[in-house]
Amino acid sequence: MPIELTLNGESIALDIDPRTPLLDVLRDRHGLTGAKAVCREGFCGACTVHIDGQAVPSCLRPIGLLQGCNVVTVEGLTAPGTLNRVQQAFIDHDVVQCGMCFPGMVMTLTTFLDGTPNPNRDEVKSALVGNICRCTGYERIIDAVLSIRSEGVA
Amino acid sequence: MNRPTDPRSVVMNLPRRDALDKLTGRTRYTSDLGVGVLHAAIVRSTVASARILRMDFAPALAIKGVRAIAQASDAPGLFGIGIADHPLLNGTRIRFKGEPLAAIAADTLEIARAAAAAVIVETEPLPAVMTMAEALSPDAPTLHPDWKSYELLRDGGIRGGNVAWEARVIRGDTDAAFARPDVTIVEDCFQVGRQNQLPFEPRCAVASFEDGRYHIHTSTQVPWTVRAVTAKALGVSASRVRVTVPAVGGGFGLKFDCTIEPIAAVLAQKTGRTVSLVHSREEENLTCLCRENAELRIRSAVTAAGEIVGREATVLMDCGAYGGEQVFLTTMTAHTLGGNYKLGSVRLNSRAVYTNTPPNGAFRACNGVYNTFFLERHTDNIARAIGMHPLELRRRAVLGDGDIGATGQVFQGDVLRPMLDRMAVLIDRTKDHRDKADGRLYGRATTVGTWFIFVGPSSATVNLNADGSATLVTSGVEIGSGTMVQALPQIVAATLGLSPDEVIVKSADTDAAGRDLGVGGGRATVSIGAASKMAAERVRDQILDIAAEMLQAQPEDLILTKGRVEIAGRPGTGMAITTAIARAEALFGPVSGNGNFTAPGVNALPGCAAGHFIEAIDIPVFAVHDCEVAVDPDTGHVEVLSYKVVQDVGLALNPRAIHSQIQGGVVQGLGYALHERVTVGPDGALEQPGFEQYLVPLAGDVVPVEIDLYEGAPSIGPLGTKGAGEVPILNVGAAVACAVSRAVGRDVSELPLTPPTVLALIQGRTGRMDHPQISAIWQDNLLARAT
Amino acid sequence: MTAQTGYGLITTPQTVAEAVAAMAGGAVPIAGATWLLRAPLRHEPMPDRLMSLRCLTEVQALDIGPERAVIGAMVTHDALAGALAGQPDLAGLATAAGASANPGIRRIATLGGNLGAAGFAASDLVPALLAADVTAVLATGSGLQSLPMAAFLAGRGGGGLILRVEIARSARRAAHARLPMRKAGDYPCAIVSVSADVSGGTIRDIRIAVGAVESTARRWSSLEDRLTGTALDPARAEAAAREMSDDFTARDAVDAPGWYRLSVLPVLLRRAFTQIKV
Repeated sequence: MPIELTLNGESIALDIDPRTPLLDVLRDRHGLTGAKAVCREGFCGACTVHIDGQAVPSCLRPIGLLQGCNVVTVEGLTAPGTLNRVQQAFIDHDVVQCGMCFPGMVMTLTTFLDGTPNPNRDEVKSALVGNICRCTGYERIIDAVLSIRSEGVA
Repeated sequence: MNRPTDPRSVVMNLPRRDALDKLTGRTRYTSDLGVGVLHAAIVRSTVASARILRMDFAPALAIKGVRAIAQASDAPGLFGIGIADHPLLNGTRIRFKGEPLAAIAADTLEIARAAAAAVIVETEPLPAVMTMAEALSPDAPTLHPDWKSYELLRDGGIRGGNVAWEARVIRGDTDAAFARPDVTIVEDCFQVGRQNQLPFEPRCAVASFEDGRYHIHTSTQVPWTVRAVTAKALGVSASRVRVTVPAVGGGFGLKFDCTIEPIAAVLAQKTGRTVSLVHSREEENLTCLCRENAELRIRSAVTAAGEIVGREATVLMDCGAYGGEQVFLTTMTAHTLGGNYKLGSVRLNSRAVYTNTPPNGAFRACNGVYNTFFLERHTDNIARAIGMHPLELRRRAVLGDGDIGATGQVFQGDVLRPMLDRMAVLIDRTKDHRDKADGRLYGRATTVGTWFIFVGPSSATVNLNADGSATLVTSGVEIGSGTMVQALPQIVAATLGLSPDEVIVKSADTDAAGRDLGVGGGRATVSIGAASKMAAERVRDQILDIAAEMLQAQPEDLILTKGRVEIAGRPGTGMAITTAIARAEALFGPVSGNGNFTAPGVNALPGCAAGHFIEAIDIPVFAVHDCEVAVDPDTGHVEVLSYKVVQDVGLALNPRAIHSQIQGGVVQGLGYALHERVTVGPDGALEQPGFEQYLVPLAGDVVPVEIDLYEGAPSIGPLGTKGAGEVPILNVGAAVACAVSRAVGRDVSELPLTPPTVLALIQGRTGRMDHPQISAIWQDNLLARAT
Repeated sequence: MTAQTGYGLITTPQTVAEAVAAMAGGAVPIAGATWLLRAPLRHEPMPDRLMSLRCLTEVQALDIGPERAVIGAMVTHDALAGALAGQPDLAGLATAAGASANPGIRRIATLGGNLGAAGFAASDLVPALLAADVTAVLATGSGLQSLPMAAFLAGRGGGGLILRVEIARSARRAAHARLPMRKAGDYPCAIVSVSADVSGGTIRDIRIAVGAVESTARRWSSLEDRLTGTALDPARAEAAAREMSDDFTARDAVDAPGWYRLSVLPVLLRRAFTQIKV
């Protein structure tokens, strides 16, 4: 029986091994390579997607458990050619380096800010415990996130 | 014609042009290109040392979907950096666990892996050496019995048995220095473990075979090295290999060598199909070309006034099963462990040692990172022994204008001393964070470090397009540091009076651009930048000559600005640059210019250095770091309370981007100092296969680095620049170790300072470090001169 | 990396009875699947026949009542941490649920998965559940079975389907002290979870559970006996724990040597006591 779910707003049906990680479905079957296969054990966060509105590592989600779920990847996060406020802040603060961790960072921080509109520095850091960046040393990413907060407050 | 480019027109906080695609998940890295291609898996050895008796591929070939097998006979050549000792695929003698023996291409990755697992490898065990102490013992088995027959890619190294390479420095009479009655002699031993670069994109390559040539699309820092090594390994002409490089998902030195690319090339040629070979994270970690583990014995003779009259040291660098980068890096001991300070006399011996462990490689500032840790901890011990404040000792002893370095090179300019002053100002600006220690042990240290910009050849072409834009063609690679998307377009744009977004930067393609040593060692901005600047200047000169004729003016009176050719000082005069381009195209054809660059070479004192690839450094780079720590006496956890950097950058082309590099580099250094531990198990395999075991700093573990960019030190780089991305990691291990040592009141002699290591130190479980494998008599550690 | 070949099957039973029957037939229940999907990294084959519990209402319960708390097997760490906020007797469990692994994993990893993963020595929930003295309710072929936590752990893999845990509420105070190598984000090398009945500054009853030190979490009964009836004093508790730390045979593993786990165990006990005292 095919597994049916919504991917970036479209209904899809998959007839594949239900143990296949969502990550591989995204990358290999749908060409959605924004989610990166880095650690495949839930520690790095580079494959983070939204499932039913929650930011989770797609490497640890077998497709067979996602019947009826709503999956959004970084490609489906915003309309083509537009950026959300997290992405815009990262550009404005010039925080990107190699870039591999950023799609996951964006996914994690987008839902985090929805639930915590005015975080402090420590709260942002706690939210990023599962998103590793090897290039930037984090602090400028956090500055960028906090700039969103201060804009919201003002 | 001499029209200097005004540095002020280059300097800016230019944002990155690649950020938007990276943030929206659209950037296609090499590892994202696995659709519609064959997938490859590597057959690896399961033991560390053995003779291969037989390999049977029949069970693998019987699996449906298997398309080709690559084995040793497909790539018979040996390669390496100083010595050609490394086979691409090993068919005879296994030297480390995880060594590639063969590779299989199949319709899917699952089939390729299943086929790789099905290959039968029959072996006969051979004795193994897992540590350098074992490798150097008199009765140790020799990993490379045929070492004498290997091709030498560089002359001058002293070699023998399990010593792959030995580099020595001998300047002055240390015997006399140590015999002086007025000196205090301080002797120490130190050691460090390996560090995994852990780039998010693993090593990977996508290869095809087109019109009789190999095309390798790969995640590398060194496209021209991949081209040369692939040709050597496959025994074909280098002109038959084309290497292209998309965005690279992190390198940090790991990708400064050719590794798996020729394997993908062989499989592409055999199948006629495009083949993707991507390391799994486990493969990547277990065969990572780490920053090597190392051991040191050092002693110094110092006067009561802090004058270092004699220094002797022997460093053992574990190169693993093959020489690789470590052979070259023996050179850097002279300039790092032998750096920072004025030395009356010095003898250094730097030995790359073979062991039956995975080979090591290059990692951001390489052995400079641990040599600086060794040197700065030793300097603190000297200060204690002579009763001088460690900062005062550094002020007195650091190299200044006209002082000679370990190999006799004459340093220009006072740099380190004024940088120490600038650090003092930075420290005074903010109060200390002692209160944050909150009952824990508090320590603080300021350390100095010396690294160099690895220069080497680069070339560039600038095409000035009819629409007024320019295309920059180089073999540079964007690995995340921003050179290709910020520094280079800034330089070219300023030279041609364009805005940086009007400069198109071609991604690396060895068919399109001239030879280049690669992106690493802080050289990209300097070497590719200099070549790019020259190419742009040649274009500018052509345009100005044409425009001068059209305007009836002297070329010297004209400038290029905002897309126009104008008479200097008279805005609005002249013409659009496109007008001059059209005229040039009509008269001579399209406008382009070439530039090239290489190191002029700096002199060492003749006879000082033996076995060195670089006897003196072209562009020294200095760094001063300061760190405050709190150490939990109950658990050994070290918290960094503050971190400050004064870095010698020459000229800061893009200050904001340099700040980002410093923040990122310091955090990698904090990982090295505190968290990142690679251990070798009894079977010779590394024990950290994934992110669960290999711990890198997370957001909660870091602090914002306070930064002061020190400009104006001499540099041969374009506009006086120096590379800024390599160096920030240099003295982090040193600063943290010195601060922790002061906090706990005990000698820190090893990194990383994981909680168990620190708690063992606090509880007195750790004895004074000694390395019996390094003789206290310096000469006894030397190989006999090779015949 | 173990090559995964063949086609797996995930069934979705609609009733507990169906699920129990499927288990008897060899199907492996999965909850969050975070442990399962890492099987290739452990070089273990992934089971072919799996069973999703998402349609069973019996495993979804999350009811923190005044007398009793019921936590279903499918409840995630994240949901559990949210539901337990501000409950002093369950504060240890709340910390365990809210601090384990990282936020993304906490949104998918479940109570049932932690209880089922016998190979996972560093589970935060398991010692917290031991200290909370929960009863595990399992569905078996012969009906429901209630087991105290220690008995459940001893017989783990015994075949029952974990439905939920039940906790009798009381006026106790609880705390959970864990020690990762970084600030957070990695598995702790030692865990102490404490639940105590304290009145007038004296410990009337105490449960102390230790995780990550040995391969399976367990209660520290001898220390519980020694501290019962004494004053709630973090420093004295630490000293007593240090004298008795020989009770454990600590694991030597890549993350930490055994001596280190034993050395920090008393410190974690002190920290847990300090939290309880506040």
